[in-house]
Amino acid sequence: MKVHIEVGVDGGQQGCTGHGRCAMMAGEFYEVDDDGYAIHRGETVDVPAGLEDAARYGAGVCPERVIQIEE
Amino acid sequence: MAFKAQETEYTQPTQADVDESIRKYGRDIYNDFDLDAPVFNDQHFEILDDLVEKCPVVHSTVGKGYYLVSQNTLVREVGQNWRTFSAAGGYMPNRPDGLPFLYPEESDPPVHTSWRQELNPFMGPKVIKGYEEQIREDANILIDAIIDKGKCEFVSEFAAVLPGWAFFKNVLGVPVEDLDKLVDGVESGTFSPDLDERGRKMGFVFQYLGDYLKKRSEEPPRGDMVDMIAEGVTYEDGSKSPWEHRVSVLVDMTFGGIATTTYVMASAINWLAENPEQRKLLVDDPETYMPRAIEEFARVFAPVVALGRTCTRDVELGGRQLKEGDFVMMVYAGASRDPRVVDEAKTIDITRETVLHSAFGVGIHRCIGSNLARLELRATFEELLRRIPEFHVVEPPTHVSGFLRSMRTLKIAW
Repeated sequence: MKVHIEVGVDGGQQGCTGHGRCAMMAGEFYEVDDDGYAIHRGETVDVPAGLEDAARYGAGVCPERVIQIEE
Repeated sequence: MAFKAQETEYTQPTQADVDESIRKYGRDIYNDFDLDAPVFNDQHFEILDDLVEKCPVVHSTVGKGYYLVSQNTLVREVGQNWRTFSAAGGYMPNRPDGLPFLYPEESDPPVHTSWRQELNPFMGPKVIKGYEEQIREDANILIDAIIDKGKCEFVSEFAAVLPGWAFFKNVLGVPVEDLDKLVDGVESGTFSPDLDERGRKMGFVFQYLGDYLKKRSEEPPRGDMVDMIAEGVTYEDGSKSPWEHRVSVLVDMTFGGIATTTYVMASAINWLAENPEQRKLLVDDPETYMPRAIEEFARVFAPVVALGRTCTRDVELGGRQLKEGDFVMMVYAGASRDPRVVDEAKTIDITRETVLHSAFGVGIHRCIGSNLARLELRATFEELLRRIPEFHVVEPPTHVSGFLRSMRTLKIAW
């Protein structure tokens, strides 16, 4: 499983705006920087075995709906 | 869990829906909506649910007229696209001429970006965590003042005070002796039923903040957000942000966080008083239920009901053709109750494992104070439930609603 977090270049498109909900919901997989933005925004990262549900839960609460799960 | 692709077909309200609306609310809420109508205060949730379920794009004929979208996908379509839906025309419908714009909330990139990237670090989770001890202490000071009375009016004695203390003490660092008049100024300046008083109190807070920023700009720096605002930012064209922009940033930050959190806090306490079983869950197992409860309360008790944008071009939205210059409001309170994305959206349930909501907005203007608001709510519920685990409502709450919603009074006893 892979996770992609959109970055939202220049605010002109959908992307992470630093709500931090993913890390609150599933801190075992998602991390945010000091400002509250997902540290892996703009990247596609592999989900370690056993954290698939965490990845799904974090994506499910993103208010921007910009965390895409690739099963 | 997978996010469904956006529906492109939008169903319009039927004549039967319109007739029912007139019967229930005394007006056609789909074609003749009014945020400030008393019925929107009195039958708030029923109206939100009708808007989100039955009408993709609602029209209001008030003043110059405006549109409203409530469905989750449509709210995101507007909020996430500042190029087409600009914040630079202000967030209020029928904005009075001559009212100064509040930065960065009422601006677009690149001006918005210049401010926001400098402000974000001061409101990020790491800095806010440092305020926890002080906020808990303040919650306990307020509880000390009421606990032996066995009763209180929760809005004026707690919920309207704590967010103000949290902000003015920790974020702005104003002298403690000025707290009372500032907290009262923000609260009455936003919600007083007497519009003259509202204007006077608002004017007082503006004046105070302008003077405070000036004073701080002449003092040795403390390394806080006020220093950063006083110093200003450099805009993309190389110019320095004018002084009046800096004052407006301070005003925006202040009003954004204080008069809003009060409503979530007080509504949650009202609901917990009336739902002892769920209250017991929170008392017995806060580790599991507190994070869920905070998001659920933010979802269903949205203080920022709706904020607006101005169309920068002709655009089709939710199956309706809008024109350049049209004003469209994102009903955040509705998007959090959209049954297309939330199961059993009308039910308040603090045991929900995942809570999707739009209480803090979407897009680049996402509420900058969301981390502080969550901390204030957590400190309040934990300290209050620890010291007063059982309480009941003595007199049902009263509310005030427009593009913001708040609670005026809530009498509880224990």
